[in-house]
Amino acid sequence: MMEDALIVFLGSGLRLAMPILLAGTGELLSERAGVLNLSLDGMMLSSAFTAAAVSWFTKSPLAGLAAGVLCALVFAYLQAILSVTLRANQLVVGIGFNILALGATTFAYREIFGALSRDTIPGFGKVHVPLLADIPVIGPALFQQTGLTYVAVALVVLTWAILKYTAFGLAVRAVGDDPRAADKAGISVTRTRYLGVLYAGFAAGLGGAFMSVADSNTFTEGMTRGAGYLAITAVIFGGWNPWKTLGACLLFGFATALQFLAPALKLDIPVALLLMLPYVLALFAVAGFVGTDRQPLALTLPFRRA
Amino acid sequence: MLRRASVGIDGMHVQPHAEPGPARRMAVPQGWLRVAVPVIATVAALAVGLVIIGATGNSVADAVEALWDGMAGSAFNLGASVNRAISLGFVGLGFIFANRANLTNVGGEGQIAMGGMFATAMALHGAAALPFGLSFMLPLAVGTLAGAGWGGLAGVLRARRGTNEVISTLLLTFIALPIVYWSVESFHLLRKPMTEVSSLPESPEIADATKLPMLIPGDSTSPLHIGLILFAVAAVIVWLVLTRTAFGLKLRAVGLNAIAARRAGIPTGAMIVTSMAVAGGLGGLAGAIMIQGQNFYLTSDFSSGYGFDGLVVGLLSRGSTAGVVLCALLFGFLRSGSIAMEITAHVPAAVMLICQGLIVIAVAGSTWIVDRKA
Repeated sequence: MMEDALIVFLGSGLRLAMPILLAGTGELLSERAGVLNLSLDGMMLSSAFTAAAVSWFTKSPLAGLAAGVLCALVFAYLQAILSVTLRANQLVVGIGFNILALGATTFAYREIFGALSRDTIPGFGKVHVPLLADIPVIGPALFQQTGLTYVAVALVVLTWAILKYTAFGLAVRAVGDDPRAADKAGISVTRTRYLGVLYAGFAAGLGGAFMSVADSNTFTEGMTRGAGYLAITAVIFGGWNPWKTLGACLLFGFATALQFLAPALKLDIPVALLLMLPYVLALFAVAGFVGTDRQPLALTLPFRRA
Repeated sequence: MLRRASVGIDGMHVQPHAEPGPARRMAVPQGWLRVAVPVIATVAALAVGLVIIGATGNSVADAVEALWDGMAGSAFNLGASVNRAISLGFVGLGFIFANRANLTNVGGEGQIAMGGMFATAMALHGAAALPFGLSFMLPLAVGTLAGAGWGGLAGVLRARRGTNEVISTLLLTFIALPIVYWSVESFHLLRKPMTEVSSLPESPEIADATKLPMLIPGDSTSPLHIGLILFAVAAVIVWLVLTRTAFGLKLRAVGLNAIAARRAGIPTGAMIVTSMAVAGGLGGLAGAIMIQGQNFYLTSDFSSGYGFDGLVVGLLSRGSTAGVVLCALLFGFLRSGSIAMEITAHVPAAVMLICQGLIVIAVAGSTWIVDRKA
């Protein structure tokens, strides 16, 4: 009984952390370049819907994933035009995109699926990692996940490596901290920021598609339930560092999953407390009471050549 | 830590880091564009909405007829539309108030939620027996204070810790919503007792004495309540404070250039906290009015959507009180109408969300047109 509850807890904690980890890791790179995408939630939601719809029509979850990512990339490109080229307020534009995505996906869902609402769609199966999956408790919990889970971990490593070891990563950090100096050094602020936002869109697309074709095998209206905001929260709480952001995502995922473990442990924790925990932690983090990390200096500030 | 990120909302005010230009640039903005851009954006977005309705095989005529019927087809629908507009209007007024100090309050939803919850608590515990109309006024006041506290908290974080208020008000909303959920889930808090056959997670109904009086006494066909008068008073006060008082001028100074304002002796920190508290208080009042005027009991999702709708109202009005009134009416009516449209004409109400999203993006994205060097 206890063992079963623990397997469910570990498995669902990881499962719940995945969408925010995927989206958050991409968002981290974009924010290091100075662009905050509040539209992350909209990107995830549109990808979740597109992935579900395409997977339904083609019977191929892989085609669904590709379509979902493509849809999020289109969103990201529009966000980049507005926040980088037109220098619009990034936060307000982001909120506008989220409203748009909620409306568009809900509308399209009603129009396309309507009565089929509860049908499951073709999704990814679980990958059993040889040997590791046979370890008691940990095996079934951590090594019988969908392939996207391992993609998420790879994305964290990739993002960290890009930022630390590549010329592009150096450009990203320069543009995020001091765009004027970066510009003088011959780095294209515009190009770097566009790529940053597109990277976030790609990752958010994976995260959104994870929710529909890898996790629940269905689409429900507004199914991200603010996962995009949570991903941004994780980036802030993780101090704009890939590994700490990974830790924050896991913390948020397991905190939410605690509701499955609490009954077995005879713990009477109100679900509401678990739901608000990530945001309380993030509030402390942005207020500067936790940690000593600083945000990219030019975050949310548009750049204009003097 | 999100610090000192400048949030000059869609260029309503000159960004503090903008290079100083000729004074005339401030004095003679391209005034007509400030009105034309939101109007064109709204009309275009609604046109897109109609095209979407038509393109998906629905009858545009039926949809428009259902929309109109839902907006003002009966005394009840008309009253419900106005009541909705009142809630959005309060949030919009709060938005432009804080925005005068160059602060962007996106936490309307959390402030509504806290206001509604505290108003319910006050109405259920203690206010019902009070004389002279205090029975409904006290819960309104408590709801306002709760919202003010929630908004003021973001102001304190901004003034003392430099925390970006967009992020903090957003986070505070995501903290407020589970708190309301908590209060209606727990029997020892606001959930109605188990004696009912079905025990839904909601509060008991508040006593009649704590409900808002109807605007037209004895008329049972319209849900219109005295919230309309409260809103009219609030709109006039906000307009007076922003345009006719030293306080309004100081707020503007803080918004235009906080460093210069401080050198001129204006207590910028106190101004920031006050303006956020006023914004939050207006949101809290909206929440209290929603509970006491029409809902009569607390549910966990009663505030859903109102915060962002109010934000859109504040954003579109570009700092003008009259603009808030007009936009609030527009969106109040459209929202009510779209719900009827979904029921009668089977066109998903989500089409209105599409329009709203397009309007926000268009208005925010057209800053460069409005703020072009003259």
